[in-house]
Amino acid sequence: MNVLTLVPTASTPEVRFDPESGVLLLKGESYPENSLELFRPILSWVEDFLKSTTLPVKLEIGLTYLNTSSIKSLMDLLDLLEDAHRENREVTVTWFYDEENDRALEMAEEFREEVTLPFFVVPQK
Amino acid sequence: MNLFELKENLNDSGSLITFSGSFSHGIIEELGTAVRAYLESETVQKSAMMDVFSVYIEAAQNVRNYSGSAPDGILVIARQGDHYEVHSGNVMDGAHVAELTARLEKLVGLDKAALKALYKEQLRQERPADGGAGLGLIEMARRASQPLSWQFRPLPDGRQFFSLRVVV
Repeated sequence: MNVLTLVPTASTPEVRFDPESGVLLLKGESYPENSLELFRPILSWVEDFLKSTTLPVKLEIGLTYLNTSSIKSLMDLLDLLEDAHRENREVTVTWFYDEENDRALEMAEEFREEVTLPFFVVPQK
Repeated sequence: MNLFELKENLNDSGSLITFSGSFSHGIIEELGTAVRAYLESETVQKSAMMDVFSVYIEAAQNVRNYSGSAPDGILVIARQGDHYEVHSGNVMDGAHVAELTARLEKLVGLDKAALKALYKEQLRQERPADGGAGLGLIEMARRASQPLSWQFRPLPDGRQFFSLRVVV
């Protein structure tokens, strides 16, 4: 499998998914014109990765803002990982948030409430 | 056009940024950057800045997505005392007025906890046919410090001008 890399823009996040390490990085902001289009290759890459390897999956999120359409798409990604976790795949999610931003913490917590997989919410200065 | 009067009216309403015209995605990004630069210069708390920005994005993207083939509309970000207001307006198909009114009226009666529950419920619904998430209005209501307020104004061609005010 190839590394999935998307270069960030003002309204789309940096994406770097590495099939060797199992680290999936999402960083920046997400309020694209069309979140379905943005997330389609991301979701299909993760589906392939889950099928074609047995490596642990480490999703690292440093998203500072998501519009509601992106929130829905990120939920789809977390649902994929949740299913894998329920089938005994080793999956962890780590969400880094700006410790001065209460809203960013709330957003992370609201995603955490939706899943049972190990989900760490980590403040950053 | 009397630009002086127009500008005076906007100033009296506390307008910080006003945009009227065709909402491209690029314009939404640019105005968003300008909004944030302004709020940062005012040293607004990060959580308040995120509330204003989030309401702005949802309102602007709604105008773009729901105003038909020509995404024409108006958006005003204003400051009134301690509060920020996001006003958005666009022409829409008259056939959707009843449904939109019902959705807005439902939100007005809900407190923050009930809005969160509704948000979570909607997050778990299938995506609506328009490709959105059905979450935008709920998100705006959650960020708002007062109930959403809105108006419809009928146009001669049967369409309606919808305006929405969100106080953050």
